[in-house]
Amino acid sequence: MGNRIKNILSFKGLEIGFTSGKLRHILLPSLNGSAGKGELIAVIGKNGIGKSTLLRTFAGLQALLAGELTIEGKSIAEYSRIQLSAKIGYISTEIIKISNMKVYDLVSLGRFPHTNWLGRIDTVDHNMIMEAISKTGMSEFMNRPITELSDGERQRAMVAMVLAQDAGIMVMDEPTAFLDISSKFEIIQLMHELTRSREKTIIFSTHDLTTAVSQADKIWLLKEQGLIEGAPEDLMLEGVFKTLFDDRKVQFNSNDGSFTIRNDEKGKIVVIGKGVKKYWTEKALLRAGYAVVDSESTVKVEVPSPVNSNWKYKTPAMCQEFDSIYELVNCIRDNNFIS
Amino acid sequence: MSPKKQQVFTPPHSPNRSRMVFSGLVLMLILFFILDLFLGSVSIKPGEIIKAIFNNSDDTTKIILTQFRLPKAVTALLVGIALSISGLQMQTLFRNPMAGPYVLGLSSGASLGVAFVILGFSADLSPESIKGFGNWAIAAASWTGAGLVMLLIMMISSRVKNIMTVLILGIMLSSAISAIVSIMQYFSNETMLKAYIIWTMGSLGNLTASQLNVMLLSVLIGVILSLISVKMLNALLLGEDYAKSIGLDVRRSRYVIIAGTSILAGTITAFCGPIGFIGIAVPHLARIIFRTSDHKVLIPGTILAGAIIMLASDIISQMPGSDNILPVNSVTALIGIPVVVWVILRDQKYRDIF
Repeated sequence: MGNRIKNILSFKGLEIGFTSGKLRHILLPSLNGSAGKGELIAVIGKNGIGKSTLLRTFAGLQALLAGELTIEGKSIAEYSRIQLSAKIGYISTEIIKISNMKVYDLVSLGRFPHTNWLGRIDTVDHNMIMEAISKTGMSEFMNRPITELSDGERQRAMVAMVLAQDAGIMVMDEPTAFLDISSKFEIIQLMHELTRSREKTIIFSTHDLTTAVSQADKIWLLKEQGLIEGAPEDLMLEGVFKTLFDDRKVQFNSNDGSFTIRNDEKGKIVVIGKGVKKYWTEKALLRAGYAVVDSESTVKVEVPSPVNSNWKYKTPAMCQEFDSIYELVNCIRDNNFIS
Repeated sequence: MSPKKQQVFTPPHSPNRSRMVFSGLVLMLILFFILDLFLGSVSIKPGEIIKAIFNNSDDTTKIILTQFRLPKAVTALLVGIALSISGLQMQTLFRNPMAGPYVLGLSSGASLGVAFVILGFSADLSPESIKGFGNWAIAAASWTGAGLVMLLIMMISSRVKNIMTVLILGIMLSSAISAIVSIMQYFSNETMLKAYIIWTMGSLGNLTASQLNVMLLSVLIGVILSLISVKMLNALLLGEDYAKSIGLDVRRSRYVIIAGTSILAGTITAFCGPIGFIGIAVPHLARIIFRTSDHKVLIPGTILAGAIIMLASDIISQMPGSDNILPVNSVTALIGIPVVVWVILRDQKYRDIF
């Protein structure tokens, strides 16, 4: 069992940060963790905690301040730059703009560790490049200048470059940061696919907790006190995510791993009904600033049912009907009742 | 954003197109080289030139050809090659389309080096009076001057990301260096000053045979260094982080590129004076012609394009058929500046700055 998931990357007592002059600026205390072959790992934590620094340390772009970091059982310090590049690939948040560079040219730069002094692309390299391009679904954009790609296409081209690099570990700093929803899912799906079909280990940072929780095999949660490691489900059961945010502002739903912004509670409302309509009505009321309760309120909302196609809003004093959630919520807001 | 052009299928490797363009450029190079020999202030009939080449007689035509026009054409060739490669390498290294040996002060740095040798030591070391070792001393001084400026610009670029800010700082730097040279001139004696002033007026035509040898050898070293740098330059296009992550030893490659650039730009400034706008404009022309960012193509491409443009500038500066000679610096400026202006206007992102 332990043999199947071989640790491809592991760190113990790792301290990361910056050195400026003789000053050592430690961002995070000693971190421990490990990544198995073919695992999709999400690094989460709030802004400025050191997610990028951690990823840059893995990619050898920043020196570690203390502790040990091993890649395939060998300390990172023992790798030369070119040896390391054959083990670990990296995608930063920087958008690269190079005029006259086509997607094929970009991807072929991924072959850097494998080509001769002039960077000549031979048949093996060419095949690897074409494979990476088709794997990422970029075949039709192969000859398009990278400056003319959309954000999602460019991100896929970057993935293709790292894929052509043929490294076992891929490190991505916020790969979905500025993507629209469909591109975001495409990239996540691609990452997931690569860990399954290619046994790539992908470590990515993200702010999107819902995606992290639903897609990642493992989560590395960075906090001031250190790194918490585990399957998203384990962390969920341990209630780790609840401590991530200010409880007064964000409400964490441990059933589906979603988060809602908690508004000041204006009152309590009982929602009567069932199904999808009940679900969305509750959402709307929550957004409007009301708590949805089971019984302890005299204010009730009845959602449409087979006998009645309208929303009913009942208080002890009155009863009103609406044909949309929008109007219902507006009316409740205007009345501004106090329960 | 430019309007979407119709997608024309071109295979990833289009060796045929590149090969055709290369052959075309080689033919043009040969043509311009011959034209540069044929055209000059003294009009000589082509027939006589051909006769002079195959005759061993020592007539005036032969002297004009071998003593004046041939060295000048070779000088133009070397200047074009050296400045263009140094410009290309600087643009990639600093990731700045506006970089060039002239605008970022490499030429000034080289001048300062030369000023130290001529004004600082002895007027005897002026280009006219010293052969052999003196030429190498002047060359080495200008390499050092250019190299120090390169290192300074490197430091600035690693801290300042804005392209135009780097450019302005480069202009400041070269003004400061010029000021130092002026102060040195002020404290020099008459003979030293004269020797230096003659040097600053330098053109393509004043080189002695031994100077030409030094220049030829230096440019050769620079070209070899640039060929070694091809793969590094391609990786550096992606920026420092990506270059490292795909396996480039960034520090070492910077030294190689800085050395090559300083030798190329320094040598030319040492023997021909500051010549502007070739280094910045020709790489852009090569990118337009070859439509690629690959230095495997761009390095030979800029070599050819630079040589052609410099030969053309030389032909124009001689104003064939008239006795007047224009300063070659003005011709290169008039050819280079439109290209630079076009590059600035083409890219919308630079408009924010003004």
